[in-house]
Amino acid sequence: MTDPPPHPATALDDVVHQRVRLGILTVLSEIPECRFATLRDELGLTDGNLNRHLRILEDAGLLQVTKGYEGRRPCTWLKLTRAGRAALRAEVSALEQLVARIHAATAPDRRDGVTGCGAG
Amino acid sequence: MEPDRTTEAERTLAQLDRLRDRSARRARGGAWLPALGIAVLLLASSALYQAPFGQLYAIEGEHPYWAGLPDQQRSPVASYLFWFLGVPLLLAGSAWWYRRRARRLGVRTPWPAFAATGLGVLLLLAVIAAVPTSPPPDTLVLIEGPFWPGLLTPLLAPAAMAVALGWVERSRGLVVAGVWIVALSAWLCTVFPLGTVPGWLIGGGPAPGQLAWRPGHYLVLMALPLLAVAAARLVSTRRPGA
Repeated sequence: MTDPPPHPATALDDVVHQRVRLGILTVLSEIPECRFATLRDELGLTDGNLNRHLRILEDAGLLQVTKGYEGRRPCTWLKLTRAGRAALRAEVSALEQLVARIHAATAPDRRDGVTGCGAG
Repeated sequence: MEPDRTTEAERTLAQLDRLRDRSARRARGGAWLPALGIAVLLLASSALYQAPFGQLYAIEGEHPYWAGLPDQQRSPVASYLFWFLGVPLLLAGSAWWYRRRARRLGVRTPWPAFAATGLGVLLLLAVIAAVPTSPPPDTLVLIEGPFWPGLLTPLLAPAAMAVALGWVERSRGLVVAGVWIVALSAWLCTVFPLGTVPGWLIGGGPAPGQLAWRPGHYLVLMALPLLAVAAARLVSTRRPGA
């Protein structure tokens, strides 16, 4: 007897899974380097809120923060690290597996007209 | 509780997809201008030939092919200056464009890799061309057929730039466009006269054939994929929500 495969939910990483942090990593996975203000506006956050999440991600080694100047204006640039990219990939994969697993489990119910999912 | 979790996971994945799509369009919305610049440089280089679209009775392809393709050029010095000034100018323009975008949109592109590739290839060509050889490479390249020094063509610079731009901008289309220029250049610059097709390829036995196209036609053919990618990127940038 082999052990059943672990539930995909166990693969979700608390640092990454948080909604705002997942958004930050997703934006940075597409934008090679993004200004703090651009990311803040894209996600509709306040400076303080974004800062708090950035610190958590930076401490976990998932993103790199570079402070500098543009003319005389201070400017912060954000970049995803290799570990950050891998963490995002793993998180999305775990979410996809979770969805697939539960869809598979509820398929017979759906055929009987019983759906457990609310409208997305 | 699992169905609720599924719904939430599905919703999260859908939101991430939308966010990713929006971010990608914002990040790569600037590729169209450098791509268009490379295409324009290729098309403008047709002015370096004596008859870019017309037929000539006798063609002398002086080696190295500073115009780009082995055909009668107006002036080797003008051809040399065209590429050795045109490429750096295009790269300087692209650098200005990307810096302006970074200031306006808060999105940086690793354009220095693109610029370094263009300048690097150009410099390498200049260095290789300056290496003394024996016998001196001032003779025509013909009769013997394929001849690798023919690859010493400035067309490799725009080709490498297109590939590097594709890598920087994560665009398969641009990489393919660059490989397409390399492939056409490799064929056209290692045969003489221009457009010679090996006999085995056209099923005509050992005797080679020749396409009746002129340098201008081939340059248009080289630039077409770049123009298509530039147009597609521009349209995608202008799309609502981009």
